[in-house]
Amino acid sequence: MEVELTNLSKKFGDVVGVEALDLDIRDGEFVAFLGPSGCGKTTTLLMLAGIYRPTTGTIRFGDRIVNQLQPRDRNIGMVFQSYALYPHMTVFGNIAYPLKLKKVPRQEQQRRVEAAAETMGIAHLLDRRPGQLSGGQQQRVALGRALVKEPDILLFDEPLSNLDARLRLTMRGEIRSLQKRLGITAIYVTHDQVEALTMADRIAVMNLGRLQAFATPDDLYERPPTKFIAGFVGNPPMNFLEIEFAQENGAMQLRSESLELGLPPEFAAAAAAADGAVTFGIRPEDISLDDYGPVSGEVFVVEPLGRDDLLDIIVGTEHFLLLADPKRKSRAGDRVRLSFDMTRAHFFDPRSELALSWK
Amino acid sequence: MTAYGFMAPAGLLVLLFFFLPVLIVLYLSLTNLASANFTSNLAEMEFIGLRNFQTLLNDQFAKKIFFNTIFYVLSTLALFNVTAALIVSLLTAHINRRAGFIFRALWILPRITTSTVYILIWRRMMAEAPFGIINQVNTALGWPTWNYGSENPWVFVILVNGFIGISFGMIIFTSAIESIPKDLMNASLVDGSSYLQRIRHVTLPLLRWPLLFVVTYQSLSLLTSFEQILLLTDGGPGLYRTEVWALTAFHRALSNYFGNTQWGYGSAFAVVLVIIGVVLAVVYMRVFRFDELVAEPRIEVL
Amino acid sequence: MAAAGALTNINTDSMSGRLLLALRNGLLAALAMALLAFLFHSLLRPMIGSALVEETLTITLSRLFLVLLPIAAYLAAGTAVRNMEERHKALILALVAVTAVYALVVGAQALLGAGPFAPRPSLQFSARQTDEGILVEALEAGGAAELAGLQPGDIITAIRRDQVTLTELNQRVGLAEEDDPFRLRYIRNGEQDQLTVRAVLQTGVDNSAIVTGLVIALVIASLSIYWPGRTLPYILLAVSLLPMVVGYLWLIIATFSYRTRGILPLDGAGNIGGLTIENWGFLLGEDIAGLEFSIWQVTLNSFLLAVLMTAVVLLVSSMAGYALSRMSFAGRKFFLSFTLILHGFPAVTLLIPIFFILLNLGNLPLIGQLIGFNTLGGIALVMVAFDLPLGIWLMKGFFDHIPWDMERSALIDGASRWRVYREIVLPQIRPGLLALGIFAFIGGWNAFLIPQTYSIGAGTVNLPVFLNELIDETAPVDWNQVAAVGLFQLIPIFIFFVFAQEYLLNIYAGGTKGSS
Repeated sequence: MEVELTNLSKKFGDVVGVEALDLDIRDGEFVAFLGPSGCGKTTTLLMLAGIYRPTTGTIRFGDRIVNQLQPRDRNIGMVFQSYALYPHMTVFGNIAYPLKLKKVPRQEQQRRVEAAAETMGIAHLLDRRPGQLSGGQQQRVALGRALVKEPDILLFDEPLSNLDARLRLTMRGEIRSLQKRLGITAIYVTHDQVEALTMADRIAVMNLGRLQAFATPDDLYERPPTKFIAGFVGNPPMNFLEIEFAQENGAMQLRSESLELGLPPEFAAAAAAADGAVTFGIRPEDISLDDYGPVSGEVFVVEPLGRDDLLDIIVGTEHFLLLADPKRKSRAGDRVRLSFDMTRAHFFDPRSELALSWK
Repeated sequence: MTAYGFMAPAGLLVLLFFFLPVLIVLYLSLTNLASANFTSNLAEMEFIGLRNFQTLLNDQFAKKIFFNTIFYVLSTLALFNVTAALIVSLLTAHINRRAGFIFRALWILPRITTSTVYILIWRRMMAEAPFGIINQVNTALGWPTWNYGSENPWVFVILVNGFIGISFGMIIFTSAIESIPKDLMNASLVDGSSYLQRIRHVTLPLLRWPLLFVVTYQSLSLLTSFEQILLLTDGGPGLYRTEVWALTAFHRALSNYFGNTQWGYGSAFAVVLVIIGVVLAVVYMRVFRFDELVAEPRIEVL
Repeated sequence: MAAAGALTNINTDSMSGRLLLALRNGLLAALAMALLAFLFHSLLRPMIGSALVEETLTITLSRLFLVLLPIAAYLAAGTAVRNMEERHKALILALVAVTAVYALVVGAQALLGAGPFAPRPSLQFSARQTDEGILVEALEAGGAAELAGLQPGDIITAIRRDQVTLTELNQRVGLAEEDDPFRLRYIRNGEQDQLTVRAVLQTGVDNSAIVTGLVIALVIASLSIYWPGRTLPYILLAVSLLPMVVGYLWLIIATFSYRTRGILPLDGAGNIGGLTIENWGFLLGEDIAGLEFSIWQVTLNSFLLAVLMTAVVLLVSSMAGYALSRMSFAGRKFFLSFTLILHGFPAVTLLIPIFFILLNLGNLPLIGQLIGFNTLGGIALVMVAFDLPLGIWLMKGFFDHIPWDMERSALIDGASRWRVYREIVLPQIRPGLLALGIFAFIGGWNAFLIPQTYSIGAGTVNLPVFLNELIDETAPVDWNQVAAVGLFQLIPIFIFFVFAQEYLLNIYAGGTKGSS
């Protein structure tokens, strides 16, 4: 089922929840809403579910405008962060509840609940109550309950954030493969970019109630359209630096108070035309420790991440984050030299924060 | 629309038994309805303006009843509903938790005992020798015996209501005391302050709002409730000796010895209390900021 | 200001500082009690003056405070030094402080002519107790007794017809006012006679009272040092509950006896005994004191009223509480604040107009027979309405704590608001329903004023009203029978009390800020 949001806004009194959102979601697509908390992503989801009424705009499922439809008439399934299981019903009762409300015959209910439980691997838990289940099991029950009525659209509201890290990893894969197999359109709200990047076909990044970008994970990472996205997507985050360009010996150079770097030829023309300050961005993985590198700095903090060490390095007055091999046994205070892979540099307009697409 | 469906039964009952009655009692107080010209049809009642209130102002008994009421409310409030309640909650809060709970539970017995049985017990308590329990104690100790019913009716009116009144303040003070952060208590323990000093400097200052609440709420309750007095002395012995304002309204309009009920005049008495009640109730809401608890719902459908 | 500062910032490290603290606390306590006594005796009494209110009570209270005054003062002085490490030093300090406080109190009494310095009623003769009676030993010259004609050697036996001992006589005289007559029976030379002595107020200092007072003060001071503080709250709490405990004890004893004197059951001969179960005969359908009601009919009425009321209160307040907590609709804020105002409003002031409402409801076709004046339905409705503000507020508080996601989930699963309320939300607030249910049931079972006001005849009489009839309408009242019916009525209350104290404690603070 396609989902189309047109000029969708939501206000709570004077507070803007979502503003002028336009979005087309294709049938069978897995879309993640990504953004910091309070950015309007859950509000959008609840408008899709029919819990909140849009202040303006339309929501279209397929070719129906559903603005006026009650939640029960929208044929959606939803999984909540808190699972929202009914504590006074058994697992069977929980999963069967949507069917009971649809007045599905008893035997049919039984069959479909068992099938859903089988799919979710919780067939042996049907007689238990939610209070007796682990977090992961509760999540599976919630998913089973959302799936059992064969919804057109599946909504997820940060479903994995209450699980421990390991379980989160397995559930990520399971949800993704289940969704692909059933071919149901899925909308997945999260503030965890790894979840969004690994699961979604496309990611809608939101901030302060506005849509920042709607693109595939690759596009977002490689060609972030705004400074916000560049900083938000990717961990550790991109390094930013206010710079100016200067011409020296016929080559373009990038300059700030603390450093000077040569610019690859593909940026040269655009840089020459640039007027005044520009925001320069570079990801930590594109900076490397190199004894013959052009920039010298000092290690300020070392944060061991296991596979890598995260180094905070001071160059002049600027801090740069980068990843280094733990075998180097970097220590705070070490003098190091850096080299920058300038072919992967990003540039943003400092006022509009839009990417300057110079390549 | 569904929301109004959910509200409808409560709304109807509130309309029937709160809203309309307030209007009706105002109207009745402006009529001369009595048993001689009784009718239940509001349109047929005879309108006499403010004459009932004039009568009330010139009524010698009304004056006595007015002072009775003030005296009764102030004494019961000061001795029991606030002071005794505070002492009981302080005492029960500083002993073993379980024991404190049991003592508090026992203190609600007077409140949940049926008024008729409760008063029955007290009547035997204050009965003349040799039947009364207190007089039995007096006799055993060689003290003179009394006919408390006719000698000291006020003492017992206040005791009877006070014993019921303690539990309300007790519960509220206790929950306030229990919500005092343990750190604060420990800090004062470290300071080496004595038990009484701790109460004086830590507990009491934090009880200011609960105290104010109990005083206002309970003064209104005492002002308007009369069931125990009705059963214990019925306002006697003699003429209006222990009669209070709310009881007078009841006597005049609903339970007259002489069979001559005065609905209009009784309503005038009731109107005074209704007005005090409405004003104080609105004041509570403002002072105690109940309206701040009103949060917006987070489901907008249906 | 400096003096005030010195009084509040006493350095408690030194002995003299401690002593000062003890003195200050003792005097403050004495002052506070004196102020209270003064308030009742000299301010409140004239204010309500011209005998508009009972004088005896204000006087009794002011005397009570005067009696408590020294005790409180000594306790305050003693406890001020109680937490000193060396007990004997603390004791010395306490004794010194208390003696000083006592001296000041006595000094004040001497100045005001109060306490041991107050004029005391007296008959002005001395006597001692003998086997025959009170033997008059000496008369004050020109005193009241001599004027009345009493002679040494007379043996006083009674005041009017009451046999008295010397202690009793002294007590009666002590309570007398000036010029109160005492009609004394006496034996002179083997012959009975009587005469009237009028009490006079005798000035003079009661030295023995001063000494006794000092001893008491010192004992209290020592106690306040050595008394194990932990047991004091228990003793105070137990003593304060004594009247209730004794009262219930009487109720139970009376139920199983023919007659009682105080709390003792007596048989025909006046000895302790005479137990019976006859008072419970009413359970088998025996007539009670000639009243025409059947106890089972009355009990059924009580039960129906309580159950009806519980059911309607639960249904109506949970519905309204749900809407106010979970639904958005125009007027929600208004309804919420209106509920709160009603919560503070004393519904009992509306008894008169509600009488007219019920009369008119009774005229409605069809349902008039069910909810009008003098019907159980009408009585139940009034009581439900009175409980609604509390019920709605309580229910709203419970609904507020249910996670929104659970309800959203149910809506998405396809439920209507009504089904969400019934199938998802109500089962979550069972503790709230139980608490409100118990409250409503006890209210309905105990209902007296409203059934009494709005009913006549056997059809609607419930147990409390019936009990009142038993006391009011029958003469002489068979108290033991009444006690049995009363105890019978209390059984469900006791059951609730034993099994649901926690709920009861919470709900009776229903006026508190917040959810309950």
